[in-house]
Amino acid sequence: MYRRDTLPATNIHLMKSIRLHEISGSPPSTAIVIGSGIVGAATAYYLGKRGVAVHLLEATAPAAEASGAADGAVSVASKRPGTMMTAALRGVALYRDLARDGLLADLYKTRSTFIIAASQAECELLEKHREALLDAGVKAVALSRQALQKRFQVLSPNALMGVEVHDEGHAIGYEIVHRLVKASGAFVHRDTPVREFVEAGGRVAGVVTPKGVMTADAMVIAAGGGSANLLNLDNVLIPRKGQLLVTERAPALNRAMPGAIMSGRYLLSKGSQKGTGALPSRGLGLVIDPLRTGQFLIGGTREDFGDRQTNDIDAVRRILLAAVDLVPGLADVRLLRSFAGVRTAVIDGLPLIGRLPGRENAYVATGFEGDGICLGPLTGKTIAQMICGETPEFDLSDFDPARFMAGKVAA
Amino acid sequence: MNSFRFLSKNIPFNEGESIAAALEAAGIRQFGRDAVGHEIRYFCGIGACQCCLVRIDGVIREACVTPARAGAHIELVGADHE
Amino acid sequence: MNERDVIVIGGGPAGMAAAIEAALAGLSVDLVEQRPTLGGAIYRQQADGGTSPVQSKMARQRFARLSTALAGISANMRFSSVFLGLDADGFVLIENRQIGRIELIRSRAIIVATGAVERILPRPGSELPGVSTAGGLQVMLKETSRAPQGRVLLAGNGPLLLAVAAQLIRLGNPPAGIVEAGDPLRAAALSNVGLLSHPALLAEAAVYLKDIYRAGTPWFRGTRLTRIEKVDGALQATLCDRHDAVRTILVDRIGLHDGIQSNRIGLPAEQTRTGSAPVVVRAGDCREALGAVAAEADGRRAGLLAVSLLSGIATDISVAERAIARQRQAQALITRSFMPVAGGSHLASLPDETLLCRCEGRTVGDLRQLLDRPDPISDREIKHNGRFAMGLCQGRFCASNVAELVALLRPDASKPTPDGLTGQRWPIRPVSIGALTRAAPEDNCED
Repeated sequence: MYRRDTLPATNIHLMKSIRLHEISGSPPSTAIVIGSGIVGAATAYYLGKRGVAVHLLEATAPAAEASGAADGAVSVASKRPGTMMTAALRGVALYRDLARDGLLADLYKTRSTFIIAASQAECELLEKHREALLDAGVKAVALSRQALQKRFQVLSPNALMGVEVHDEGHAIGYEIVHRLVKASGAFVHRDTPVREFVEAGGRVAGVVTPKGVMTADAMVIAAGGGSANLLNLDNVLIPRKGQLLVTERAPALNRAMPGAIMSGRYLLSKGSQKGTGALPSRGLGLVIDPLRTGQFLIGGTREDFGDRQTNDIDAVRRILLAAVDLVPGLADVRLLRSFAGVRTAVIDGLPLIGRLPGRENAYVATGFEGDGICLGPLTGKTIAQMICGETPEFDLSDFDPARFMAGKVAA
Repeated sequence: MNSFRFLSKNIPFNEGESIAAALEAAGIRQFGRDAVGHEIRYFCGIGACQCCLVRIDGVIREACVTPARAGAHIELVGADHE
Repeated sequence: MNERDVIVIGGGPAGMAAAIEAALAGLSVDLVEQRPTLGGAIYRQQADGGTSPVQSKMARQRFARLSTALAGISANMRFSSVFLGLDADGFVLIENRQIGRIELIRSRAIIVATGAVERILPRPGSELPGVSTAGGLQVMLKETSRAPQGRVLLAGNGPLLLAVAAQLIRLGNPPAGIVEAGDPLRAAALSNVGLLSHPALLAEAAVYLKDIYRAGTPWFRGTRLTRIEKVDGALQATLCDRHDAVRTILVDRIGLHDGIQSNRIGLPAEQTRTGSAPVVVRAGDCREALGAVAAEADGRRAGLLAVSLLSGIATDISVAERAIARQRQAQALITRSFMPVAGGSHLASLPDETLLCRCEGRTVGDLRQLLDRPDPISDREIKHNGRFAMGLCQGRFCASNVAELVALLRPDASKPTPDGLTGQRWPIRPVSIGALTRAAPEDNCED
């Protein structure tokens, strides 16, 4: 399954070999984490806390891909009932802990998410979704049109009802990555793409990079879209582009928003509810997040056929029309920046987290689609626990990569 | 002579003049504070630095490249931003 | 859809010349200008249309020639319109400020001629009211033919300071002083005989210097302005000469200027293959900041290049290229003459509290702290985590200073580039969300 055949074996011997440490049993003394998005950064952080010497190998630079172009929602509100909702609850709780403990104190903003319905269909969907949130133990309060107008005065009368999901938050992906990487003490190798693995007796002993072969006791693949190449999962991991917008500062309007807005259509675009029919290939799920700076982050698209980090006026206009429809005051604010990122999604909608089948020291954590910021720290912590022989505090069986890889590895 | 309103004052201007030039002639060099806390004022003259923003009939514009218009009502962007 | 051949962005000398060449070759041309009049910053006309006393005769003649030529062709003028960028689908995005709407335009070629912005080094206090760029003062002089009231100090580096001083003198308010980091008299006398082959430049300089000398305006050469403070409703400037002797001067206005750089933040990359995506050519100061004469020649070059790319007809750009080369040589000589002589690096000696990025309120100390780590962080990490080049000006005024200061602070690592810090994204200027929601291909616009 690994691309051993792409490079003649002799070339590996010609390369300078960097022997980091002697390979030993669990807990390891060294680890290589491939990918410094939020998942890789969090894994490095939690491994570092356990005394593991971590080398973070990054094809370009930290947070250069999806983590640096995310909407930053740390939220249960939009999650599909079941494992993802449970995971998100744990993910949000961990952010609260990290903020309380100081590491993310200034970077994590606690706020409610208001899911807003603007049509009868959305109202029905939203009511069902609220029940699922309540079942999962989330504080989700239904607000009638009148109650909503009172609680959220800058909202348009087009809002028919809302659900306020309490105790959610927002974190900017690249800021979290920066903080975690620095706190991890990991050595960061920028511009160091991993070309292939060096395997030895059911282990991944090392990796081949343009700078040479590097070895470590444990390996974690958290390379987002790059994981597809490394693991031959091209048909399992798919790119899903998103376009996002950031406005200038508008503190008065920002302050007048008691939380983030998510349109009821977001649930549709994300397929958070089963049986909602076919998704459009270029769905729009509106979120409006009032940022700490007084700016607004407005998103976003979910495009199945886009893999370029570009913005088009058609998508930007549709996002903004939807935003102004719910918050008319935004029409007088200026757009400062548009950007796009490519999320890595798994075809069954659940991330891949866990040990690589048949490889005792290698782990994968990728395919979070739009949930990486929310679930990244939790995932990093759980992977670190697995690597160090601790019982993971979160059950990962639904995310086991074996569901796509078992057959291949046995071969 | 034509004039526009800047807050509660009438500001005269010559046809074709920018808002910044008219305000300068009226001795107004500070247009409130921006959201970061700096005083808003004329700087580059070519619309690049975004340091002279005002709200003209509700729309945020660079005072330096926007022609003055008779009857326009000009407010501070800070009126919303603070 | 009504596709035109060429859309020219910018109505300064480069854009005007490009539009003229393209239209003379029979191409359909639109010209986009953010202001209601042509000329750009360099040929900014007096608001009432009268003859400005501050424009030199040669500048007036050059602008008149361009205006006449442009009047003789059929270019579609789009005034009060701001170029926002080129989107992923190949639409040219134009904010039409007259009607408050974004127009989406299809064009086979785009000639970008967005001119230059001034380089302004950070100095404590440069964010205060009363402080502008010297070019900003000059634009207002040209537009109003009025000198600003009160005591004016011009400070920084380069010949533009002398031009603005002479213009202030002509309008009856001689500046309180000119603070110049270089020592051009000494440099010219010592080694710069090359300037003798550019008599027009020398003649222009002689006129300025004569006016400045007659007015008795002090010219502090080899001196830097290191700090500005508010004192009793005035501005106190601290000057430091090449021997580190410090003096202060009390004024009402300060015009800063430390050079000229291309205004190319966020612009689409040049693209000279014809196909589904439009051809993109840069022209004038936004390609290489060499001043008005070179900009006009480069506009002609860009116009001719677009003609040959779109029509396949060979065009001769050698005349334009020779003119540009001559101006490049002249600018190099001027730059050498004005080389700062004051001791030490201005950027390296800035105190921590100095604002590097006014838009986001980020300081020199913030950058030093961000770089205080063993690993060399990437341009994008510097941008994102330092919030440099992320504000309203999108890095036009801070990116080059940040890039240079990063290089000084970590000499062993790769030097960031201003473009690497800012990236290429539209909108290249902040734009009203309301106008964006009214974006439409122009054929669907009802006027």
